[in-house]
Amino acid sequence: MDPLEQLVAQIVGLSDTDIPRLLGILKASDDLLRADWTRLSSVLSQLDPFKHSLGFLYILEASTAGPTTKEQAETVVPIITSFIDACAAEQIRSIPDKFISLCKRFKDQVVLLETPIRGVAPMLAALKKLQTSTEHLTPLHPEFLMLCLLAKCYKTGLSILEDDIFEVDQPKDLFLYCYYGGMICIGQKHFQKALELLHIVVTAPMSTMNAIAVEAYKKYILVSLIRHGQFSTSLPKYASSTAQRNLKSFCQPYIELANTYGTGKIEGLETYVQSNAETFESDNNFGLVKQVVSSNYKRNIQRLTQTYLTLSLQDIANTVKLNGPKEAEMHVLQMIQDGEIYATINQKDGMVRFLEDPEQYKTCEMIEHIDSSIQRIMALSKKLTVMDERISCDQAYLSKVGRERPRYDMDDFDTVPTKFTI
Amino acid sequence: MNYSTISSALASQSYDKIADICDNLMLQVAAEGVSYQDEWPYAIHLLGHIYVDDINSARFIWKSIPSSIKENKLEVVAAWKIGQKLWTRDYGGVHEAIRGFDWSQELNGLVAAYSELYTKKMFQLLLSAYSTISIQDTAVFLGMTEDDATSYVLQQGWAVDPASRMLTVKKQPIVTEQKVDPGKLQRLTEYVFHLEH
Repeated sequence: MDPLEQLVAQIVGLSDTDIPRLLGILKASDDLLRADWTRLSSVLSQLDPFKHSLGFLYILEASTAGPTTKEQAETVVPIITSFIDACAAEQIRSIPDKFISLCKRFKDQVVLLETPIRGVAPMLAALKKLQTSTEHLTPLHPEFLMLCLLAKCYKTGLSILEDDIFEVDQPKDLFLYCYYGGMICIGQKHFQKALELLHIVVTAPMSTMNAIAVEAYKKYILVSLIRHGQFSTSLPKYASSTAQRNLKSFCQPYIELANTYGTGKIEGLETYVQSNAETFESDNNFGLVKQVVSSNYKRNIQRLTQTYLTLSLQDIANTVKLNGPKEAEMHVLQMIQDGEIYATINQKDGMVRFLEDPEQYKTCEMIEHIDSSIQRIMALSKKLTVMDERISCDQAYLSKVGRERPRYDMDDFDTVPTKFTI
Repeated sequence: MNYSTISSALASQSYDKIADICDNLMLQVAAEGVSYQDEWPYAIHLLGHIYVDDINSARFIWKSIPSSIKENKLEVVAAWKIGQKLWTRDYGGVHEAIRGFDWSQELNGLVAAYSELYTKKMFQLLLSAYSTISIQDTAVFLGMTEDDATSYVLQQGWAVDPASRMLTVKKQPIVTEQKVDPGKLQRLTEYVFHLEH
């Protein structure tokens, strides 16, 4: 019997009964599959993508291994799409690497065909099948977000960004997930969420600098200016020392932009942006930089609310450097609409009265909101406790702590692990 | 292609669901490898996003439309015109964009519903942002003639000063639910318990 057909027979026979054994056989058949790869696509028709997911995956992955032309991609993409749709999650999870490699190739192919939108729904389905819980970040998460960005399906991308992530396979996945996720949120103007995601990238543990962190830091500076009107160059203590030392030097034009912004002088800011337009454009950040500039007007108006109770529209226009009271009125109106300031405009007298935030934190809605925040924090704190306990019992950790202990004060010895006896 | 979900949403006037239905259907159709762009109901899709105030998504849809469609389908262009006016905060321009096109039978209901919704939103905006405002501006924001706008706001209790042609806004007291149900007390107990352990 032909070895390939024999393999197919084994796949059919074992898929229902003995997955681990089948996995062993398939792992040993790599050479056979590579040698016979021209016949693989015809063999696929004998298998059922749901019942024989594991075997189907192995053969499909092997048959798409070589470089692909557009024509080949055109035939393979529908096969992979329907496989992702049909395959059984338990089977593919027994060999995640193959599935991930297949899905990544799938992404490359839809990008090659210049139709990234074809990959969005299948990639989402694939990552849902692969993940064990919504807290699990798979290597397919960043691939999915990248397709969303390319296909301009930003809203679809948002759907997975709401899940809190606690489990990560590879650090690179987390970096890319948060970076792309930040871009998605920027596109939808969810600046607070974007800031959180980019913050994770720049403060994540890293032993050497990486390009993702540098690009994330640039966007982090810009979004922070748009959202908060300020930027602090010092990273929190828990950021890696690599990031503390090096990030700033890679993003000098952006740091200077933040400094110019801080002076509150719009002309200076505009001149600086114009003279550095090329840098920002080559980083693909020019759109964001323009939003930074227009947020400067808002920031200056907001600053006025801290000093004055009432102010004429003409005075606002003069201080903030707008062309006349009508433009000032429109700016104030937009900010009221967006909930960025609380004020009422009196057109008759040409005055604006600034008000306090009317929120009194006693509505049911607000209580619901605070309540859900407390619950999330509690869940997080429980997770931390579990993690802490696990580390405290960890053999490697204990032996390291034990070894380092003698350097400390003699008084500390009573809390030392038991293997230490004096 | 099967557009029945879209048409039934239009028929049942569930306009706020249109955007999600269109988004999902588009991804599904695209995944099947069908070349959908030529017959895709872009105008409905755009207006669906505009209806739920998601101008960002509408803008991304517009950006992904092939240029041949942008040139040939006038209704798609007209739908985006509304989005464009919203994007640039040209408050009066939105009304003009709505009125400036002869919408097809299919879209008429959706556009009319949005027009009504937008007028209400503008009224709420004026209510929250102004203490006095000229009749002329009010008419622009509400997309009405000056007489219609005046009688519309007078019904809401505003006052008019004919000499200066200014309207005085009457703020409506905002009623909010403040009653807390006993279940919350139970939760609070749990929180205290959590903090102590």
